[in-house]
Amino acid sequence: MTTILFEDEGYAALLPLVYSRPTYDLRCGIFTLRERVAAQTGAQPSAICRPHLAVVYGSGRWPLHLLSRSEPVVLVNGRALETAWLPELLDAPLNTLLLADAGVSLLGTPVLLGAKLSPHLASAVLGYLLAQRGAAALAELMRFCAAREVKTKLLSFPWDLVNENGAQIASDCAIHQRANGWPSAAARPPEAQGIVISAPERVFIHPDAWLHGPLAIDARGGPIVIDAATIEPFSFIQGPCFIGEGALISSAKVRGETSIGPWSRIGGEVEASIVQAYSNKHHEGFLGHAYLGEWVNIGAMTTNSDLKNTYGNIRMTIEGLGQVDSGTLKLGCFLADHVKLGIGVHLNGGAMIGTGANIFGVHFAPKTIPPFTWGGQVFREYRIDSMIDVTRKVMGRRKIPLTADGEALLRDVFAQTRGDRTEMRGTTSLRAAPADEAALAAAEAAVLE
Amino acid sequence: MESKPQLISRLRSIRRLARPLALLFVGVVVLSIGVGYFVTFLYRNVALPPLFGVITLQFLPLWIRGLLFLTLGLGAIGVALWRLSDLAVISLEAAPNSGEVVVGLGRARGAPQMVVISGGSGVLITASLGHIVSRLTCITPVQDSVEYYYRASSLFSFENVTFVVPTPAPLDVELTLNSGARTDVRSKRSHDERFAQQHVVDMRLVSADQQPVEVTQATLDAIAEADVIILGPGSLFEGILPNLLIPRLRDALRASSAMTIYICSLMTEPGMTTGFGVGEHIRQIVRFGGFAPDYVLVNAQRIDSEVRQVYAAANQTPVFLALEELEETTVSATDQITTRDILLDGSVVIEADLTTSVVQLTASLDNPNERRTVRVLRHDPEKLASAILEVLRRA
Repeated sequence: MTTILFEDEGYAALLPLVYSRPTYDLRCGIFTLRERVAAQTGAQPSAICRPHLAVVYGSGRWPLHLLSRSEPVVLVNGRALETAWLPELLDAPLNTLLLADAGVSLLGTPVLLGAKLSPHLASAVLGYLLAQRGAAALAELMRFCAAREVKTKLLSFPWDLVNENGAQIASDCAIHQRANGWPSAAARPPEAQGIVISAPERVFIHPDAWLHGPLAIDARGGPIVIDAATIEPFSFIQGPCFIGEGALISSAKVRGETSIGPWSRIGGEVEASIVQAYSNKHHEGFLGHAYLGEWVNIGAMTTNSDLKNTYGNIRMTIEGLGQVDSGTLKLGCFLADHVKLGIGVHLNGGAMIGTGANIFGVHFAPKTIPPFTWGGQVFREYRIDSMIDVTRKVMGRRKIPLTADGEALLRDVFAQTRGDRTEMRGTTSLRAAPADEAALAAAEAAVLE
Repeated sequence: MESKPQLISRLRSIRRLARPLALLFVGVVVLSIGVGYFVTFLYRNVALPPLFGVITLQFLPLWIRGLLFLTLGLGAIGVALWRLSDLAVISLEAAPNSGEVVVGLGRARGAPQMVVISGGSGVLITASLGHIVSRLTCITPVQDSVEYYYRASSLFSFENVTFVVPTPAPLDVELTLNSGARTDVRSKRSHDERFAQQHVVDMRLVSADQQPVEVTQATLDAIAEADVIILGPGSLFEGILPNLLIPRLRDALRASSAMTIYICSLMTEPGMTTGFGVGEHIRQIVRFGGFAPDYVLVNAQRIDSEVRQVYAAANQTPVFLALEELEETTVSATDQITTRDILLDGSVVIEADLTTSVVQLTASLDNPNERRTVRVLRHDPEKLASAILEVLRRA
């Protein structure tokens, strides 16, 4: 069986978070969708995505080998959250189609959730899926397949990641335990002294995790899964919560419904948030109901608001749709991959900062900042060569090289988003004065030295 | 009417010429001053006829003459810049793989979208043309499993290529030979001496449920959007004609405005096209497809006797243009060249060197342990690409 994750038109409402990664590589709960499917099926799924991501995250630009085997092809929508329906699809007869209600997304209903197809029929829709034309693929498959609607949730907007994270951690815990089988803290309590655990039967700790007491772990609100991470003294961890491999919790308050991805460093207070991986929020400051991509760095005392003083719903700017009411009272900031924030930056609830933006020297950052923006009081385009140099240094510190394909991906995203920055200059007063331009250039040069 | 962003984008394309144009402008102004001094000198020192006063508008006050010439000059510059912005300007120093070259070529002429209808190894030869088109859709024969093509193509690094099935499930194709015998298109007849001297006289789709044949939308979309449709290379009755038996696909081909090119077989096939010349190949397409290809590419390379003998032993003969088929000619005129072409059953036939000979290891059917190497002919992908590009250029 060949399992293929695909992106449909819905990726657009998740921009800019998915400029530099496919929708199925967004973390929600313990896993990304790719990891979740791998844990469920015991095999790494194949993946197709937008052309600029295909080499780094997909199965290549023209993945013709995906249909080369005479065995069923299982398609899985990259925006799927939980995958309880997947085992049933794997056992279904050939040419079965699963539909999902698009929910509040503006794409219309229904949406192609998954399918089990012969390679013959899969070839009839491969071209559509390579172009993210999920609706065209669905229309074609509806002609030839037995279709059934499934009650499930799809990622439609960025806030779905945060809103669903707690429930997803709870449902992922069962998949994680089936795949890994770690004993609970009730069955094998941590050996270190001074560790207080509430509801230890819902706490699962990797044997190689380093827990240094005193610290408190409270799983009464939901399960807690701690991979081979390091938890420093005076930390408080509340469930549901996931802490990934190699993560460092530096005397932090990690409140419920939080996922800390692998190799991230967390300090201060974090609540109901997702940190994708390789990101640092190492110092004091509050992060609530927020999403941080990969290779994000947040300076000391940088804090986000996640509740309006008016207790009204928080609105966010969605590409192509404008301001959209999230329908939720509590929502923090969304920082795409490679965003860097300086010290003492305050962010509004619903703030969206695009890929690679480097923001510093500002007390309150604007709510929406385009990808590859540089500055604080004034903004200008972040020179891509400088951004690549910084990225190479940042990744090098973790012994991960920036590959030529990874660099090409960032340059592609830079080119794709150039229009966003042009609009910013044209419609706001954020254009830098010549003197400020010179100061910004000097600051940039100083960073790169 | 172009929108403001389009207007700006168009004018921005000449930014590379801004400096040389500015320098040219300064040069023209300095030259004009020089000419003006000479004219003033002539006025003051030579007695000129009164007509010169009229030509130089001396009946008008000086400021009106100045305004008039300024307006005319600015108008001429505006028209010149507008015309200039209609050209793709690419730096000679631009790297071949730079976006600038791609944008420039894209503005000059978009890469074509191509559809290939063929089967077997023939479709893999044409799939290698993916790098010269923006999209290449290979429509596989209705009776074949598509996995074979995906498996084979994963050995190559094709670009812009997808293989699409014409129907949601494979269908059987039945051939009727001139002896009256009926056989499945997939049955191996080439080594069966009983069929060696026979050819196909009819063929039909065998649908198990007798329902109208459904066609995949991807197939219809690809044909509707194609700039060029290639038939072949490969077996006429195995790779090309089976798909033309599907009514909706055939209608789509006939309705398409794309140029159609048939790449004629190099050799006859025992049990299928024995005795067929180029004309008979084309007539089978007309008969089952209801259209004549715009162009037919026929191999013109001389085949040496050693290779000919190998094929003769297998009851195969070369497919060349016969002398009696050369009677009808037409004059084709394009904006670049005018040629005298051979017209055969409504198709322009172009003879070109399309082949390469390769050494192949074969085993005897009687004694599988007895292996020997033979030289065989194959369509050469590079020569084929050149020939197709040449046809596209001509069109």
